[in-house]
Amino acid sequence: MFSKKTLLLVVVIAMLAAVAAQCGAAPTPETVTVVQTVVVTKEVQGETVTVVETVEKEVVVTKEVEVMAPGKFDNKVTLHWNLGTEPPTLDPALATDTTSVDLDRNLFVGLTDFDPVTGDVSPMLATDWDVSEDGTVYTFHLRTDIPWVHYDPKTGETVQVTDADGNPRFVNAFDVEYGAKRTINPDTASDYAYVTYIIKNAQEVNTGEDADGNPTELTLDDVGVKALDESTVQFTLENPAGYFPAIAGMWVLRPQPQWAIDAYGQRWIEAGLIDTNGPYVLDEWIHGGNMRLVKNPLWINADDVQIEVIDMVMIEEASTAFALYENNELDTTGVPLPEMDRVKADPQLSKELRIAPVPCTYYYGFVNTKVPFDDVRVRRAFSAAIDRQGLIDNVLKGGQIPATSFAPPGIFGAPEPGTVGQGYDPELAKASLQEFLDEKGMTLDEFNSTYDIVLGHNTSEGHAKIAAAIQQMWKDNLGVDVRVENQEWKVYLQTIKKTTPIEDEFHIFRLGWCADYPDENNWVYEVFNSEAGSNRVRRNCADPNCEETTGPSKFDELTAAAGKEQDPQKRIEMYKEAEDILAREEAAYAPIYHYTSVVVTKPWLTRNYPPLGGADFYNWKIDADAQMAAMGK
Amino acid sequence: MLRFIIRRILGFIPVLLGVVIFTFFMARAIPGGPFDFIGDKSLPPSVVKNLEAKYHLDWPEWEQFISYLIGDELYIGPVKIFDLDPETPAYSYGVLRGDLGPSFRYRGQTVNDIIGRTFPLSAQLGVMAIILGLVIGVPAGIISALKQNTWLDYSATFVAVLGVSIPSLVMAPLLIWIFSVNLGWFPAATWGAKPPYFQNMFLTPGFDWGNYFSHAVMPVFALGTGLSATFARLMRASLLQVIREDYIRTARAKGLHESMVIYRHALKNSLIPVVTVIGPMFAALITGTLVIEQIFGLNGMGKHFVQSITNRDYAVVLGTILIYTIILVFSNLLVDLAYGWLDPRIRLDA
Repeated sequence: MFSKKTLLLVVVIAMLAAVAAQCGAAPTPETVTVVQTVVVTKEVQGETVTVVETVEKEVVVTKEVEVMAPGKFDNKVTLHWNLGTEPPTLDPALATDTTSVDLDRNLFVGLTDFDPVTGDVSPMLATDWDVSEDGTVYTFHLRTDIPWVHYDPKTGETVQVTDADGNPRFVNAFDVEYGAKRTINPDTASDYAYVTYIIKNAQEVNTGEDADGNPTELTLDDVGVKALDESTVQFTLENPAGYFPAIAGMWVLRPQPQWAIDAYGQRWIEAGLIDTNGPYVLDEWIHGGNMRLVKNPLWINADDVQIEVIDMVMIEEASTAFALYENNELDTTGVPLPEMDRVKADPQLSKELRIAPVPCTYYYGFVNTKVPFDDVRVRRAFSAAIDRQGLIDNVLKGGQIPATSFAPPGIFGAPEPGTVGQGYDPELAKASLQEFLDEKGMTLDEFNSTYDIVLGHNTSEGHAKIAAAIQQMWKDNLGVDVRVENQEWKVYLQTIKKTTPIEDEFHIFRLGWCADYPDENNWVYEVFNSEAGSNRVRRNCADPNCEETTGPSKFDELTAAAGKEQDPQKRIEMYKEAEDILAREEAAYAPIYHYTSVVVTKPWLTRNYPPLGGADFYNWKIDADAQMAAMGK
Repeated sequence: MLRFIIRRILGFIPVLLGVVIFTFFMARAIPGGPFDFIGDKSLPPSVVKNLEAKYHLDWPEWEQFISYLIGDELYIGPVKIFDLDPETPAYSYGVLRGDLGPSFRYRGQTVNDIIGRTFPLSAQLGVMAIILGLVIGVPAGIISALKQNTWLDYSATFVAVLGVSIPSLVMAPLLIWIFSVNLGWFPAATWGAKPPYFQNMFLTPGFDWGNYFSHAVMPVFALGTGLSATFARLMRASLLQVIREDYIRTARAKGLHESMVIYRHALKNSLIPVVTVIGPMFAALITGTLVIEQIFGLNGMGKHFVQSITNRDYAVVLGTILIYTIILVFSNLLVDLAYGWLDPRIRLDA
């Protein structure tokens, strides 16, 4: 009696499938021959002129990734890794999230790199660099032996890319110039273009407006980046910036393959189309499903790269990823909070446990213009009443570092946590609030009834737990009542904007900040400087809605000057003072903790935990015999 | 009959248009936009401006809507806004020509890519779960109705209540823990993450069925058991009602054998409530179930319904809701047709 209906179901499914197949850009493994217009760039020797010519030629394009022949990667040293999410893009100009940026680190080289142990800026594509007297011109000297490679997922062959004349392509200064200008080009619409604004005219070209808001006359040619010859690239800056070598290593300034981007448009990052120059090449990218990187045999340090294949899944659920880890299907993964106690108690898992730093800070911002938080004593009382270590031990349980200042360890200029700024000090907190109450002639009850203090956070179980714990600490240590409210993420971000009318603002908001590049400039200056930073806490404002500032404060001057300073030692001192002013003297915000990630790693995998986070697979090693034995192969 | 179908299908056009209009403007009315922030950081207004210009979000909303409907090519002429393919000139073709537009979150991917990639797996999971639900639920419901107030009935009802009460959020991790981590019978996740059972709805020949089903069994079970409980309860209640009807009494009075009475006369009629719920359920299930996909790491469509709203990824919001609506109206049409077949008193042409 179900036969007819079942038949009907099958027919419907078949129809839908046909629709879906049409819909999904017809994923058929067919080889088609098309006529393409390829733009070729040639360099005329001795001159910096580039000749662009257009040629028509027949190219064979295969769009579909072949079904993997069984055994293609058998007996290769393989890392099993969880990306945790589909990377939104692999395009260095467009990447914004840690997953994409991590992958770009393994696919593309930067001018500079960061030391996996200390986090300091180290040479990579640029072997060394000079700075002009006034600190505004950086000249990078490049090595010229890193090949651009193309990998064919069907044959598994990696070949060096050649130009129109058949000459092999090596990564050169022109690729760096092209990459920088592509990021700055407003048509590219790069989210992270703003970090390049320190480069001369980059802001004006990217925004299309000059300083007065009029349409700009400048073009990309006026941007302060120029390849002097194949091995020298020069950056001219708006102001001196001691942190520029760190910016130069960022993904948005990495060399990019103009020929591939011109030929394939936004699809140039797909497997089979992409040209890369890093330690790994892209073998397969099934969007939302899995991705595979394989070792680039032409990489300059290929002999040092031990892991040959990286098999990556995109499991979002932490407990599922952990189950895969227990089944030996992942070699390393994060530990979900509910599993933490079991992992710590388990004799084997506890040995595999490791707390890794993450360059992010969790903080509560006070709205410095909202009564009563316009009074520094109230802010100080609320900051000093937070028992950071207690929160970590009882709520977070992930070995986080209690924060007393903003930038976490590993960031250039960041003071050691606990040395400066404001930590837990219940006596100070009480005294500070009492002083305020005495001056106003208020009792604590009057304080509570007069000010309906609201702490806002975006909707999330984790933030809610932290808010509840801190709400209780304020009650216990100060006797104040605080109401906790939460909002959906994007609504929340609108509420805590600096431009929100003061009556719609919370008194206290939660937020986190993570490093874009490892320098204090990215932290105290970009976040809290009242002239140039985002200054969501509205410090130094002349009116509650912060339409005007009261003129530069000591902190503003210090952070601006420290960015321009060339002497690293002086910069460290200046930032130390600025951090202390911000967290203690002004108590503009309450630093709470520096992030960590709790990971477990199988005994056969030797990996590092760079202070800036990230995964540089080319530095990792696997004991393949032990891995195979555990997997029962 | 044919006239009925044609009339109904013509009636879908205003429904779909209404859904598109409503969703288009509602999605844009939610506070916040797709490019305000990355992570915890706010983007400078200049960068947001570039991004909005690229995706035409700086246009007045009615112009965005026309361009969404008929495409940029017809609306403003051949302006190259979105380089997707080197072979074809790049335009947005408009939803009327089947182009659901670009994703803001996954740069370089279109909504058609995303749905084409995730729908097949969600559909396979949904269909298998419904079939499992029917295979378990309908017989269980029949048995407990026929053996009303016996231990068979009580235990079936107990299991059904249990099945309805245990959410898949609990069931799924439990299954993984028992059958994957401890017993090692089935893989914990990644159904559809690896070839060959991925992109194509129709699986390639010479394909590893054992591997396919070993991945599918736990997600299908977690989703299907809850359904079977629903079906069992519906089937029981409906059959109990039907066997008290006059025409059943008549059939018995004629001296028909009890099994004939049930099989010929009662069952068909009592299926109507089950078929009624299958319509919307089918549409909801084959377009993806967030919890199951999340826990078993499936690359399905369910998460895009939720994530696209969180990300304010307008075109994905519209695309997923549009696909859902299309499937919903068609499955409701099939339900109506099934009524005519199940109950002779219902005349579709009337």
